[in-house]
Amino acid sequence: MPEPIYLDHAATTPVRPEVVEAMTPFYGPRFGNPSSLHRWGREARAALDEARERLAACLGARSDEVFFTSGGTEADNLAILGGWRARQAEGRNAVVTTPIEHKAVLGAVHQASREGAEERLCRVDANGIVDVASFDALTKTGVALASVMWMNNEIGTIQPIATMAGMAKERDVLFHTDGVQAFGKVEIDARKVPFDFLAVSGHKIGAPKGCGAAFVRRGTVLESLFHGGTQERGKRPGTENVAAAIGLARAAEMACAEREREVSRLRGLRQELEKGLREKIPDAVIHGFGAAERAPHIVNVSVPGVDSESMLMALDLQGIGCSAGSACQAGTASPSHVLTAIGASRELVNGAIRMSLGSLNDAKSVERVVEVFAKLVAKSRGLAAVAS
Amino acid sequence: MSGGVDSSVAAALLVEQGYDVVGATMKLFCYGDEVPDRPCCSLDSINDARRVCQTLGVPHYVLNLEDAFGHDVVDDFVSEYSRGRTPIPCVRCNTFTKFRDLVRKADAIDARYVATGHYARMIDGALHRGLDPAKDQSYFMWGIDAGVLPRMLLPVGHQTKAETRAVARKIGLNTADKVESQDICFVPDGDHTKIIRRKLGDSAPALSRGPIMLSSGEVIGEHEGYARFTIGQRRGVPGGFPEAMYVVAIRPESRTVMVGPKEELLGRGLVVREVNWLVAADKRCRDRRLQTADRSFASGTDNARDSTFSVQIRHHAAPAAAEVIRDQDGEIELALDEPVSAITPGQSAVFYDGDRVLGGGVIEAARDAGVRAPLPILAA
Repeated sequence: MPEPIYLDHAATTPVRPEVVEAMTPFYGPRFGNPSSLHRWGREARAALDEARERLAACLGARSDEVFFTSGGTEADNLAILGGWRARQAEGRNAVVTTPIEHKAVLGAVHQASREGAEERLCRVDANGIVDVASFDALTKTGVALASVMWMNNEIGTIQPIATMAGMAKERDVLFHTDGVQAFGKVEIDARKVPFDFLAVSGHKIGAPKGCGAAFVRRGTVLESLFHGGTQERGKRPGTENVAAAIGLARAAEMACAEREREVSRLRGLRQELEKGLREKIPDAVIHGFGAAERAPHIVNVSVPGVDSESMLMALDLQGIGCSAGSACQAGTASPSHVLTAIGASRELVNGAIRMSLGSLNDAKSVERVVEVFAKLVAKSRGLAAVAS
Repeated sequence: MSGGVDSSVAAALLVEQGYDVVGATMKLFCYGDEVPDRPCCSLDSINDARRVCQTLGVPHYVLNLEDAFGHDVVDDFVSEYSRGRTPIPCVRCNTFTKFRDLVRKADAIDARYVATGHYARMIDGALHRGLDPAKDQSYFMWGIDAGVLPRMLLPVGHQTKAETRAVARKIGLNTADKVESQDICFVPDGDHTKIIRRKLGDSAPALSRGPIMLSSGEVIGEHEGYARFTIGQRRGVPGGFPEAMYVVAIRPESRTVMVGPKEELLGRGLVVREVNWLVAADKRCRDRRLQTADRSFASGTDNARDSTFSVQIRHHAAPAAAEVIRDQDGEIELALDEPVSAITPGQSAVFYDGDRVLGGGVIEAARDAGVRAPLPILAA
């Protein structure tokens, strides 16, 4: 089998050697608990503080606005549930969000609704862009918190976050944005865009799985999810994962430093990939293609009549790793709620394959993927012709 | 690969024999919270299958066949019970899900063969009973499209269950001593009325009260839904009669459950629909006198290897001699040499020539219940 090709960077990314290097001492001699009084503790505390500062700098934030978490899901939950619960005393009950959010956001919003929140969903267009007029109307009154993801993980469309954050601010609505896919791909600056909460995930940018951060703007009242300690200003009790925090900071710095160059490279590859696919499979549909701003690395493609499950298996056995929708508990690919929300037909939803480019890909990988994908489509269509 | 020991060992044997194996577990319905843990078709069983594949060093995929299964197997299950019949979902699953829809997935990855842990054998491209008569599952496989047979591998059919478990232990498969699943995979707690209720509602006729009646027309009691009964059943039949009484018929249009003594269970013939043949026309032994096969057939004695044509009307029924007296438009009528008990609409009638499965169909009705004069012997 030829060299395997990893095309699932939106799912996770390899841990960068520099990140491993930065983290290693904290699995070795610098193992202290930052809460300890003694020298081991002080050393760990210093390293943690420094990591916090460096990550904050990447976000245009202040140190006291950055809280380390176990990942993007926790950061989303902390912001949405913590933010909403804290506003219950004021009588603001509604949560505004979109149908294309990541399940971590939708799950947290759903939990809030079980606790009494009124859920309001914005309209999105066929490209997956939030209808700002819809957001405007829904956030006018009675809203505690709004959540709109910066960059969609399945189809890659980028939302007009600055506009919506501004609207929310005017109305005293807390604005949360899931920045998990966006961080490292678009400029995220808390001084320029007035979001109140932002979620970040380490394993999407070359840090290990199990680390992330929540940005919480100074002055925002937030209830914690966990109880029992004073770490992270009492907002996230539990002994800090020092090594992970250091790893996350290092990865963030590298991602931000390389951002423009890497985005340009990825966009070029993505365009080659899309061009190749469309040439060989003229009726292939690329979801979100018409959006004004798109992720540089995500291509979500459906070929009419081809089912994604069979395709993913066949691609895997050829050494190519892609994904589709989200996995259910049993481990099968479930139809994507994002594609359903943007109005894609059942047939296209059942055939959607997400390819996401990253550090492990180059022009050669794109060439081979196009070739193999086109061959498999032809075979699938040939089989379908025989079956019917 | 269901996660059970049979399919696990089937995979292991194929790997040993040098095949390039890909393990696939079918997700047939949503596991949800309401489904209690059980030996088969749970999240745990998927994990078992995954781990076995890991042990064997082969890829494992979970394939979503929920929609197709719901439509072809579960919906049919419910509608058959509504019609007063007793379905065999495993037959539908084999026919439509495993050996058709799953085969399409196999095509997508250029897999030449589809293998399962069924206790049946492929011999010279023909489907045969499994070696272990106590475990023979060929009865459930009559509906498979004949075109698929050349692509089927049934590795464990050539051995006994005990041998299969021994192989599992030897290889160190974690499923070696797993308890066997006896229930229908999608029926939680073995209570099939739950599915019917879920799909058709509480007021479904099949779950509603109705009379229990003798053939004379006398009503002797009331039942709580004819879906709870099958032909030959004793449970739920009122007592107080000089002899044992059995369910002899279900009349869904009047929600009536007919009961009677043993003799009324006997049928001298049956009508079979949805007939599927696994052999070419010249091998179907139609219009040939079928010889009685006695129970020693099942133990594999040599006289059973003679060319005989028999019909088996239940999984654990003995095959019975029969003659085809009508065959048109996919419907067959058979006359039985000796009366057979409890011929049940919805169950399968499977035609065998010795150990070889010739085909089968769905029992539409029993014919000529009660004793009838033997038919004249035709020239061979």
